[in-house]
Amino acid sequence: MPTYYQWSFVKKTRSKNIYPSLEVTTHPLRTENIKITPSLNKTLVENLQKWSSSFQELDPLLRFEKMNEEEASFSLNINEDNLADYSKTWSTKRTFILNKYTTGEKLTIISSFLPGGEKTLIRQVSNLNEKVKHRLEQLDDFDESSVRKTMGLSQQEFVTKVHMLDEEIKKAWDSEQRVKAFKIAIQCSKLLSDVSVMQFYPSKFVLIADVLDNFGSLVYSRLKNKSYGNKNVNFQDIDPNAVPEIAKETCQNWMFKMASIRELLPRLYMEMALLQCYVFLSKDEIEPTIVRLTKMIRGMGNPLVAIYIRVYLCNVASKLLGRQSEPFFYNNLKEFIDEYQQIFHPAMLKKYGAQLLTADQYLNLYVPAIDWMLYGTLNSTNDKLTLLEELLEKCESIENSELLLCCIISSFDSPSIIQKSTSILDIIGKNANGMVMMHSALTSLGEHLCVVESYRQPSAEVLSQTWWKLASGIKNTANFLQVLEPWIQFACLQLSSQHINVILRGTIRYMIKCGQPPDDYSTQIQAVVKRMLKHIPDVEELFLMDAFMPLVELVQTSAARTSMSKSVLSIFFERYKADRIDDPIVISSLMRLCRILHDSINAVSVEDESKCCAELINKYIQVSHHDDLETQLNFYVECRAAFIKLDAVLVALVHAVNTLSTRGPSSRGRWLQRACAAYCFITVPSLHCALARSTLYLLSGQVSLLNNCIGQAEANFKALVGVIPEIPQFVHEDGQQKPTQDRVMGLIGSFLSTLLILPDNVDSNTKAYILSGFIKTMERIPWRKTDPLYYTTLLRILDLLCEMTQEQYLYNIDSVISNDELYGAEEEFIKCLEIYATNICQEVLVVLKFLSDAKEAKKQYNLALELFWRIVRRGDLEQPSMSSLASNLWMLSQKLQDSNTKFAKSILTALKTAPGGPQLLEKLKVQ
Amino acid sequence: MSTNLSINLKRASKIYNEGETIAGVVIVESNSDVRHEGLTLAMEGSVNLQINSKNTGIFDAFSNSIKPITLVNTSMELAPAGKIPVGVTEIPFELPLRGRPSSAGSGLLETYHGVFVSVMYTLKCCMKRPYLNKPLNAGCQFFVQYKHQEPAPLKPVRCEITPASIFASGTATRAAMPNFQLYAEIDSTVCALDKPITGKIRVDDCSVPIKSIELQLVRVETCGSSEGYARDATEIQNIQVGEGDVCRSRDVPLYMVLPRLFTCPTTTTTNFKIEFELNIAVIFEDDYLVTENFPILLLRCR
Repeated sequence: MPTYYQWSFVKKTRSKNIYPSLEVTTHPLRTENIKITPSLNKTLVENLQKWSSSFQELDPLLRFEKMNEEEASFSLNINEDNLADYSKTWSTKRTFILNKYTTGEKLTIISSFLPGGEKTLIRQVSNLNEKVKHRLEQLDDFDESSVRKTMGLSQQEFVTKVHMLDEEIKKAWDSEQRVKAFKIAIQCSKLLSDVSVMQFYPSKFVLIADVLDNFGSLVYSRLKNKSYGNKNVNFQDIDPNAVPEIAKETCQNWMFKMASIRELLPRLYMEMALLQCYVFLSKDEIEPTIVRLTKMIRGMGNPLVAIYIRVYLCNVASKLLGRQSEPFFYNNLKEFIDEYQQIFHPAMLKKYGAQLLTADQYLNLYVPAIDWMLYGTLNSTNDKLTLLEELLEKCESIENSELLLCCIISSFDSPSIIQKSTSILDIIGKNANGMVMMHSALTSLGEHLCVVESYRQPSAEVLSQTWWKLASGIKNTANFLQVLEPWIQFACLQLSSQHINVILRGTIRYMIKCGQPPDDYSTQIQAVVKRMLKHIPDVEELFLMDAFMPLVELVQTSAARTSMSKSVLSIFFERYKADRIDDPIVISSLMRLCRILHDSINAVSVEDESKCCAELINKYIQVSHHDDLETQLNFYVECRAAFIKLDAVLVALVHAVNTLSTRGPSSRGRWLQRACAAYCFITVPSLHCALARSTLYLLSGQVSLLNNCIGQAEANFKALVGVIPEIPQFVHEDGQQKPTQDRVMGLIGSFLSTLLILPDNVDSNTKAYILSGFIKTMERIPWRKTDPLYYTTLLRILDLLCEMTQEQYLYNIDSVISNDELYGAEEEFIKCLEIYATNICQEVLVVLKFLSDAKEAKKQYNLALELFWRIVRRGDLEQPSMSSLASNLWMLSQKLQDSNTKFAKSILTALKTAPGGPQLLEKLKVQ
Repeated sequence: MSTNLSINLKRASKIYNEGETIAGVVIVESNSDVRHEGLTLAMEGSVNLQINSKNTGIFDAFSNSIKPITLVNTSMELAPAGKIPVGVTEIPFELPLRGRPSSAGSGLLETYHGVFVSVMYTLKCCMKRPYLNKPLNAGCQFFVQYKHQEPAPLKPVRCEITPASIFASGTATRAAMPNFQLYAEIDSTVCALDKPITGKIRVDDCSVPIKSIELQLVRVETCGSSEGYARDATEIQNIQVGEGDVCRSRDVPLYMVLPRLFTCPTTTTTNFKIEFELNIAVIFEDDYLVTENFPILLLRCR
């Protein structure tokens, strides 16, 4: 193979419409929305799941959750239709209680069925002599009748012990020791008489209620088994007349056993746990029993213990009777209200005081219980408003009504509460002095008001004024902010911005006056601000209030400021639907927030963090709009100064400026375009990533070229050529190393196409100045010769060179004089280009050689054909060197692979029409 | 080789009225053939009386335990001497329940388990076996109840307990008493055994905290004859109706289910008496106890 081939171009006479064209109905580049029918999609996913299911390990935590769900669905199937509602609500309530009422205090458990108690407390009184007593004492350790008290348990240990007792019951039951199981259950219920750690009491109740439920269902299922065998019989279907005598007798025995429990509390709890068993004796007995138990609970002097027994009774009733149990909820609620003053009994006050609880905390212990009773009561009535009026009257008539009022407000439905909101505020106002739960009452009232569709305007103002009077009197800052949260939403929804502003000013005044650093309440302030942003109808309006930004910036610690700005910005952009912001006040407020966000970025910031910030700032840059283009550019300059740390923002800025540049008028000597080009040229070098830099250089160059700023364009392209060697093979993106090859190839392609129309610098004496620079750079880069990127680039340069020799270029920018006009296909210029082409061609042949050495037959074949094609299309086949090169290449490709492929065939077809083609074809055929 | 003997009554509750027939089966369970010399079934019922050891000094006339009074004693042969085949053999029986006149009266008494008086009925089955083998015995208690009478008219009682009332009754143990006003009510002092005792108690006023309110059922057993008698009151059960400082001026229900076996209709015979009383006790924080006593009449009625 000869090593040197002189390249010569063929000149094409080009007429318009030389390319075949056809009419299309859709734009070829439009992205097709492929609609996948869901069913298909599903089956696909299902198929996938089928294969992966065996590998799919559930998250262990999730697995427990699932198990719980399953268990719940297996529990007593009584009154299925209505029950679901209550048991589900209770189970959410249950979790809520367990999470809320926790303690760090040490707990005590008294039981005779747990191993490892420390102290024997109660012993049978005996008049035996000391020696015998001592011996018996030793035996007592193994004897179940000795009661041990385990003290100093942490909450978690306590929970474990209760679960152990539950297990113990099951074990005893399964080993036929039913009396023992009964005894353990009694002891469990006795634990509920201990209010020494009140803070934990609601949770303790929940735990033990579960144990009792389990015990109850053990007894129930045994009796059912005795009556019906293993048949699955529903609670409703049990007919007492069909129950065999033996089962009845057993049931009766349980009842007698239960009735003879000495203490009141365990007797009540056990009777409730066994309530379902009455069905085996007589169905009519259940409801009167519930009524009787409701009254018997009056005997409990401790209000906290009493109310939770009521909760358990309501629970059991709802499980058995479904919706028919609702009157019992109401009865219990009434009983509770009658006993209401017990809560404020001096002995109780002393007790919680001794446990270092605040009045607020103490009253909160009652809340879930009252809520639960109200829940059932509310379901039972259709006329909620009347009930509400009744209860409110009650609240007015009794002392210390705050707890009840609070629960009423939070439990009732919004429409009724809204209707009575004025009178509720009145009641709160009257009792405002010494009210410890005012904040929660106001908060829930506010939440209800937020739901209202449209409140009568004047009364909304009156309402909010009354509210403000009450709220500003709240001593505790945290509580104040808690109250503020829903009310500000109400104000945002219903009141004018002046009113909102007044409230905001008041808030700032309050925060300053309260004397505590606002930093302690940053999360709450943030919640308030978030509420406002989320609910105000026009989100821009907020920034126009003079008190809004000061409120946002009330908190001074940098972390809090950052998270505040972040949430403000993200909610703002979420809600802001227009595509631009015109108001300078809003723009500058947002600028302030963006600055805070930007300033939080430092060397140790996580990548995600800065990415998130950058996204927000980018959004801000995109939507900020000034009518005056110069102001807009100044704005971008300011942004660059402000957000210099974030590359992503700089990229966005360059794009924005380029967009601006295209918008500018072409009058006045294109000063704006020049300024923009200068901006880009200065901004780009500060980016870290070479790939991004090169892309932006290219883009800026293209835009400059478009605006006929040749010097700027050239500078950009020159810089681009300088950057290309720096582009790494891989870039770090989204936590992965991604190859840059494809992108670089695209970039170079686009660059080369732009070079076609870039006019040469007349001052320099090199022809095709930038291109020659590029070729030189290519030579400097230590390429791997077999790299597709390399030889594709070579081929593309060859293409460009060919096009550059044409008398009229394929495309032009109207205002730009390209080389075709500049040189007019002058001889010297062509010669110069041919030299380049010869060198490039030479290099391609070298690559071919390397490919054959590397045994890359396929690539070699393709490359040979590509080059062949270029010679055929662009080369002057009449020149002997060209035609011999062509034939050599053809031979090479034939040797490598049978050239019956489509590509080769079509090349040959094209050859027929090319000048000098037929001769070559002859030559090829001969071989 | 083992042989098991047991008695199964047809009625699960094992409760019979006088005049009814006790029906059941004797079950012989064995893994080989059993040779025996007769299978008998006996029904026994008696009143056992005992004198409180504290009182024995006074009543030397009695021995520690007085001779039991037999109420019923019959026996029958279930099977003549012979062989019972391997496996489970059920031998049905029927016995009429009829008392014989005794010092306690002409008929049967209700089953009652007390401290000094108890009335018990048993079935005993005995299998005599050939020489050198112990006879096999099996026993089974059953319970006798009176037939239900027509319900008696209610006899409600009510009382008010104040420091004044206690002084008036002369049972006051200390001079300084807290100020209190209690009101108690029992729906009827004539009570059916199958029904709970109900009532209510109300604390109208009390200057000290209350610790507990309790309802105590007491049996009063009297043993003896015309020469002298011993009367003992012991607690059967104690039920708490109020715990802690209960709400003032609110009716707290009294409710007590009468335990089986430990109660029976109030009984009076020449040799012994079984009576019942009810105590309402209010215990103050300092363990000071105020009680009110109500004698009650228990009846077997609907």
